Amino acid sequence: MTTLLMVKNLEVKAGKKTLLAVPLFEIQDGEVLGIMGPNGAGKSTFIKALALLETPAHGAIFLKEKDITNDLTLEMRRKFAVAMQQPLLLDTTVFNNVAVGLKLRKLPRQEVKSKVSAWLEKFQISHLAKKQASTLSGGEAQRVNLARAMVVEPDILFLDEPFSALDFPTKAQLLKDIKSIIKQTDTTTVFVSHDLMELRYLSDTLAILMDGELKQTGPTEEVLSSPNASTAAFINEWKSLLS
Amino acid sequence: MRMKLSLFLVFLIAFIAGCSDSTAKEPEKITPKKTDLILATTTSTQDSGLLDVLRPAFEEKHNFNLKIIAVGTGQALEMGTRGEADVLLVHAPAAEEELVKSGDAINRQKVMYNDFILIGPAGDPAQVKDLSLPEALKKITEIKAAFVSRGDDSGTHKKELELWKKTDIDPKILGKSYIEAGQGMGATLQIASEKNGYTLTDRATFLAQKKNMPETEIMVKGDESLLNIYHVMQVNDEKHDKVNAAGAKAFVQFMIEDDTKKIIKEFGGDKYGEPLFFLFE
Amino acid sequence: MELLLEGLKKAIEMILSGDPEILEITLLTLRVSITAVLVSTLIGIPAGMFLGLARFPGRKLILAIVNIGMGLPPVVAGLWITLFLWRSGPLGELSWLYTPTAIIMAQILVSLPIVTALTSTAFQQINPKLILQVKALGATKLQLFWILMKEVKLAILAAVIAGFGRVIAEVGAAMMVGGNISGETRILTTSIVMEVSKGNFDIALALSFILMTLAFIITFSLTYLQQRKRSL
Repeated sequence: MTTLLMVKNLEVKAGKKTLLAVPLFEIQDGEVLGIMGPNGAGKSTFIKALALLETPAHGAIFLKEKDITNDLTLEMRRKFAVAMQQPLLLDTTVFNNVAVGLKLRKLPRQEVKSKVSAWLEKFQISHLAKKQASTLSGGEAQRVNLARAMVVEPDILFLDEPFSALDFPTKAQLLKDIKSIIKQTDTTTVFVSHDLMELRYLSDTLAILMDGELKQTGPTEEVLSSPNASTAAFINEWKSLLS
Repeated sequence: MRMKLSLFLVFLIAFIAGCSDSTAKEPEKITPKKTDLILATTTSTQDSGLLDVLRPAFEEKHNFNLKIIAVGTGQALEMGTRGEADVLLVHAPAAEEELVKSGDAINRQKVMYNDFILIGPAGDPAQVKDLSLPEALKKITEIKAAFVSRGDDSGTHKKELELWKKTDIDPKILGKSYIEAGQGMGATLQIASEKNGYTLTDRATFLAQKKNMPETEIMVKGDESLLNIYHVMQVNDEKHDKVNAAGAKAFVQFMIEDDTKKIIKEFGGDKYGEPLFFLFE
Repeated sequence: MELLLEGLKKAIEMILSGDPEILEITLLTLRVSITAVLVSTLIGIPAGMFLGLARFPGRKLILAIVNIGMGLPPVVAGLWITLFLWRSGPLGELSWLYTPTAIIMAQILVSLPIVTALTSTAFQQINPKLILQVKALGATKLQLFWILMKEVKLAILAAVIAGFGRVIAEVGAAMMVGGNISGETRILTTSIVMEVSKGNFDIALALSFILMTLAFIITFSLTYLQQRKRSL
């Protein structure tokens, strides 16, 4: 495995308050990395910084060992895709929603059409192509949202709690589908959640984020079975709830 | 498809509107561009329709683009004092003389006259019909009949105030029956008609409005004090340097020419059976 | 009642006979109003977008001023423009007073705040996370604005319709800065006022029917545009 993304001394501030301070963080190529933490731990802030949507106060970011800290351009941003908790679809058809990322990248029409069709198929929503986004159910909308992210074939896919608003059967089906798609395409994924069940199912590696700091990182099962001093209380509470 | 249709409609309208502009401008390109000449005048000359006849006659003879701004005499005179108009056609002799004295207006010429009349409801509650004007005003105040005043500092308004003053009556004693319209002659007449009130008007505007107010009649006319005299004058270009002096001079000259006099004398005869304006012979 | 029917009859007569004066007045009305709304739209949408999305000191003050501007009485707008365009005023050299340009200026002054304020309200209602999401989809600044504009297109068209309504109905300022000069600055509203003061109620009514028909056609087209089946 090679390191795909690495950050050093990352710090995000809001005014004088430090929201996030991460001395070192790495994502391996093809890895599915889960980030777990209580509300307000800085999970969304972390994703925004990693996906280059927010400029950190300081820190260095390396993509494939290349320092891109001073090169946080659109071109870099376009290597990533983000799906958030709310699907936030545009007021148009499903097809057009999935096509947005490709259209923004000015791909030829024919290519847009074939790629969108392929991804609608993979997420099993081809039959919705002509429907208005505003008429979709929650599960359908989230599938469109994920297809919209995957269609650009990102180097890294960022998932910011995309399943947390769904009911259980819908969530379970979508988790299965996205897992198989991620494995099939070998997509490096950063997956933020506060739900241990989702994380256990999807992530190879688990990072625990608390108070803006990474408290523990390691293979998912290892972290869960042997939490350290800072994470023990949080993890054990989850485990007692699940058992 | 439907969207295209509505878009098309909007653009079509815009296009037509745009074309109207270009076609309107074409003749200007052929003849050299005319200089604008701003005439500030009273609403009575416009509302009677006289200027609609005089404007083409003037523009045919002289190479100016006559812009007629019809406002109250008060505003017209103010435009003169500020040099915002080139030539004035107004009917407030006392105020006009002040303008000449201050040097804002020059070359003031008598053009025409008609008369003011006192009109009122056919029922004539104050019994003023065919009385002399001072007596009529006295009677109106006695029974506190409704009296509608222009109240807009126009020539007619100035005249009305002058008449009250001459009669030695303060119209304010009418209290609520003294209605200050603050509008043009046409609107004031309509208010008078609706309120069964009396009002002072120039004959021309009344004749033009008569068809809309069958219950209103002329009460007092022909009184010496009711003469309504129109003067034309140039705004002094030595005092206001942006004034179109040549055009103003031409217009003053035009207004006292024999051809123009003939137009004025005959104006209104065919429509109202009597002329609206009279000349000084 | 009788007068209403008479007016309607007269309006139809005037339109059918192709009275050149009526045609001229109508076309001028359209030219002036559409130009004013077009300018207000071209300035008001970007300005409204900026006020709606950007955060900078003094923004609330500007928003308040724009909101007050929505209620700016046309005669006040007319008065200000008159003062500027007077021969002795700062823009006197242009000789714009008593020209259609002056009317257009006055109409822009009364419609621009409406378009700007309503547009900015529309943009303020956008979920900030949507902006983030669109950025994450790989949008440039310009692409972001374009996408957001499409998201609020209904509200933007409503802003344009409101602006147009203000402009086509406006009379006080047009009278003051245009002067109601026959063949030059006489538009439908000012000729209605004039015909009323002349006592020609039938003609005034006829003109009012023409005005309302125009307003209806344009507003209907814009509404149709607004309510059409949505597509990207």
